Amino acid sequence: MKKTPLYDRHVELGARMVEYAGWNMPVQYSGIKEEVHAVRNATGIFDVSHMGEIRVRGEGAGAFLDWLLTRKVTGKKPDVITYAILSAADGGTVDDLLVYTLGEEDYMLVVNAANKDKDVGHIKESLASYKKLYADRTADVEIIDESDLYGQIAVQGPGSLDCILEVAGELGLTGAEAEELAALKRFRSMTVPVAGEALKMIVSRTGYTGENGYEFYIPAGKTARYWDVFIKAGVVPCGLGSRDTLRLEAGMPLYGHEMSPEISALDGGMAFFVDLEHDFQGKVMEDKVTRKQIALVSDTKAIPREGYEVYVNGEKAGVVSSGTFSPVLEKGIAFAFVAPETPETGTVEVLVRKNLQPFTVVKPPFVKGK
Amino acid sequence: MDLKYSKTHEWVKVEGNVATIGLTDFAQNQLGEIVYAEAEPVGTAVELEGIIGTVESVKAASDLYAPISGEIVEANEAIEDEPETINSAPWETWFVKIEMADPSELDALLDKAAYDKFCEEEEA
Repeated sequence: MKKTPLYDRHVELGARMVEYAGWNMPVQYSGIKEEVHAVRNATGIFDVSHMGEIRVRGEGAGAFLDWLLTRKVTGKKPDVITYAILSAADGGTVDDLLVYTLGEEDYMLVVNAANKDKDVGHIKESLASYKKLYADRTADVEIIDESDLYGQIAVQGPGSLDCILEVAGELGLTGAEAEELAALKRFRSMTVPVAGEALKMIVSRTGYTGENGYEFYIPAGKTARYWDVFIKAGVVPCGLGSRDTLRLEAGMPLYGHEMSPEISALDGGMAFFVDLEHDFQGKVMEDKVTRKQIALVSDTKAIPREGYEVYVNGEKAGVVSSGTFSPVLEKGIAFAFVAPETPETGTVEVLVRKNLQPFTVVKPPFVKGK
Repeated sequence: MDLKYSKTHEWVKVEGNVATIGLTDFAQNQLGEIVYAEAEPVGTAVELEGIIGTVESVKAASDLYAPISGEIVEANEAIEDEPETINSAPWETWFVKIEMADPSELDALLDKAAYDKFCEEEEA
């Protein structure tokens, strides 16, 4: 099992460790409810060093990524981060990812830990297909797995910016860098030199919680130093358990649940992140939509779980893809896949153990960030 | 009266022909904050290892299994309103009382020393 640069810190802090995507990761520290409330009301910190970083650079890299992904990455300001879907040729989903522009024809893809090796293989094969399809285009593109170079921490919650600015000096930020960070818009990034390291740190206003937050991609050997600064400042350490609960409350999809090789981005309710006006591998998905995603809130104490059956007017209509107890709403919440003709309002039922329980169909997010 | 324990983490307290059953401290700690709990209703005939209740944490649902066969003669409905007492007082918070059909089934359960050892191994 792989360990992140923060493994020893998690053990010292008494985290419960689990295996996740081949990594030994903290699932919880104080408890999922407490961690969720910390992120919703104050500031929490997550070790997300398991995420993969894949560098794609060289002449023609931007045009290649435009074809590889469901959204274009070219023609945007260099500090803009693009969330997009990596689709297979048949329209199924290989992964979802963030694209950071590091320079001209120089991009960093941030991918799910469990998919990283598969993604690298898929991107390399796709590059070969792209070169055949578009022999007239320049595609002098390198694909490099840089995951081992970075540790990653996410500082999330309504207090995150104030907290970062308070410890900016200890984080090695100059006055000007702190100002730049304070002015950073959502889905924008900046780079910061790190003393004694050739690799720069990347800071972005991104996250997976629905609250304001920042992510730090840190030269791996220095990750613990940054983590310690935040812990000393009283930021609450949070594990993968609260991370998954927070993302579902925020109405965000998770690979393997709302997307998979069998579930295209359009099946999975991500039409907003699919630009059908541009040519991309997997565009065939638009002709193959067989289901849609709905969001459900429990009308009772029942908690929906992945795999539970969904019924509309007494007929089986679909299945829950992610379900949890929401500590903020104090109710069960879920994403489910149902037939495309299912109404997007009203009430459905979910089979919870032996009983059909009523759920209201809502428009996500379940919980709005502050 | 000493408690007996099952490998599925129920504790059993025997008084006369009635077995009171709850979830062990080890199990509540593994589950984390319990946000939902329910006991099967009075009158339910249960087989050995049949379902007698359910607990859910934020992340997961799990069932309680009968360490003894018989009939449920009392069910603790208070756990539905206050599931968190399973975390705070696992040894006092019982789920069901079963009138035992075959008390010799108790012999298959673990004593405290054996259960503690079992938990240690499960955690490793």
